[in-house]
Amino acid sequence: MSEPSIKDFETALAELDALVKKLEEGELSLEQSLALYERGVQLSRFCHARLEEAERRIEVLTERGDLKAAPSSLAGDDQDR
Amino acid sequence: MRDIARRAQAPPPEPASPVDLEAPPPPARRRVLSVGDLTAAIRDQLESEFVNVWVEGELSNAKVWNNGHLYFTLKDERAALKGIMFRTQLRYLRFKPTDGLRVIARGRITIYDPKGEYQITCEHMEPQGLGELQLAYEQLKKTLQAEGLFDESRKRALPAFPRKIGIVTSLDGAAIRDMLKVLGRRYRNAHIVIRSTRVQGDGSAADIAQAIRAIQRVPGVDVLIVGRGGGSIEDLWAFNEEPVARAIATCTVPVISAVGHETDVTIADFVADRRAPTPSAAAEIVVSSRDEFCQRIDRLHDRLDAAMWDIVQTLSRRVHMLGSRPAFAGFPTRLALRDRDVTELTHRLTMQMRARLGARERQTLALRRQLDQFDLGRRLATIHTRLATADARLATAVHRGRDRAEARLRERAARLESLSPLAVLGRGYAVAWNADRTRALRAASDVNPGDRIRVTLADGELDCDVRKNR
Repeated sequence: MSEPSIKDFETALAELDALVKKLEEGELSLEQSLALYERGVQLSRFCHARLEEAERRIEVLTERGDLKAAPSSLAGDDQDR
Repeated sequence: MRDIARRAQAPPPEPASPVDLEAPPPPARRRVLSVGDLTAAIRDQLESEFVNVWVEGELSNAKVWNNGHLYFTLKDERAALKGIMFRTQLRYLRFKPTDGLRVIARGRITIYDPKGEYQITCEHMEPQGLGELQLAYEQLKKTLQAEGLFDESRKRALPAFPRKIGIVTSLDGAAIRDMLKVLGRRYRNAHIVIRSTRVQGDGSAADIAQAIRAIQRVPGVDVLIVGRGGGSIEDLWAFNEEPVARAIATCTVPVISAVGHETDVTIADFVADRRAPTPSAAAEIVVSSRDEFCQRIDRLHDRLDAAMWDIVQTLSRRVHMLGSRPAFAGFPTRLALRDRDVTELTHRLTMQMRARLGARERQTLALRRQLDQFDLGRRLATIHTRLATADARLATAVHRGRDRAEARLRERAARLESLSPLAVLGRGYAVAWNADRTRALRAASDVNPGDRIRVTLADGELDCDVRKNR
């Protein structure tokens, strides 16, 4: 899924934004339009996939600068999940 | 204290008899003091007299010197009093003693011998009018505002999609639970890094500042929530102190302040990039920026579809129009080709959109199903488990009962068998009966010769005649 040309969400979204505007102007050839459209779909899918892929994590930064898992009393506090 | 005040207001002691001035006593009787001795005598007297005085006046020439002590003059309409406050006491003051401030100073009067000056050595000072905390708040607010730390232009935008959320608060407080609750409910795959810190009490401001500096260095943290739950103004005080304000101002990632309740506005709120009225609200802000991000993608995707659809429609119409013109009658093949292209593209597009709609619909359905099943399903599962358990227990009980009954039966049968005379017969014994088999014979005299008896063997019976009694 991760394309080398897509760095992160912000750039993906910016590209999608620009691309939609260009497409909406409707000045392009069919081939160009279609290429843009396909790229757009790809970008949108990329963003969605990235949004979903992360896992819930709660960590505590200790005085010494280490990261450790939060005590279960905190981590387990989300019964509403 | 009142005693001292009364004495201080008492008229000056009578000057020595005026006669002395006109006719000085003969030199032999004069007692000449050195300046030092006199000053020492005055000092002894004054310093033992004014050990603990409260004095009110306006501060002027107030300045903290390099040695860390505060020098000032306290004055009113009639008089001026020099004063000093040592570094050790000065650090307990929350406000800054500045010129023009009306204060009440507590301390003792001391004499500075080299200059022949008396002064108050101040142990404590409190502002008149505004409370000490209020004054400190106003002072810091003014200073930071003058530095431009509250300027709108300094406020950074929160990340469009916060990926790693840093939280600086106490692990023991209600605030952290509130925030995690919101994040758990509305941002289920959030990555959260918490730096625990004291949020009230002496030295807590430095702790909070330290925590802010530490957590911004964790790679990937792109937004910071700094705060605590509600409390008294003293409880929230750390968030009105300069170290916290400075740490927020220099933080490398955007900061959301979340201190106390809606009505509590702290210096930290002014400096932060975004002020949340409560810790829960801060979490909501983070969540909603993520939601907005998702919606932005969806809206763009919808526009993308619509734009493409428009293009295809327009082209398709143009091709049809061109095809119907007589001038183009000579190019039917090329047009047909073009037409086929368009048709195919239209088809692809339609399919793609349908697929996307379908996926959405499926997603919705799946979610709804999950929702439906969530309660009912879980409850059913519980009931099912309980039934299964009961069932199993019943089965074991029945089994155990039956097994026990069987064992008992076997045991009884065995006992019965051992009691049965037939069992004895098996070992070669026989039973002799009278003729009508009503009585077992125990003695030879039970019968007479010529009587008929019966003999039961393990297998079968014999009819016998008695020939002789022995």
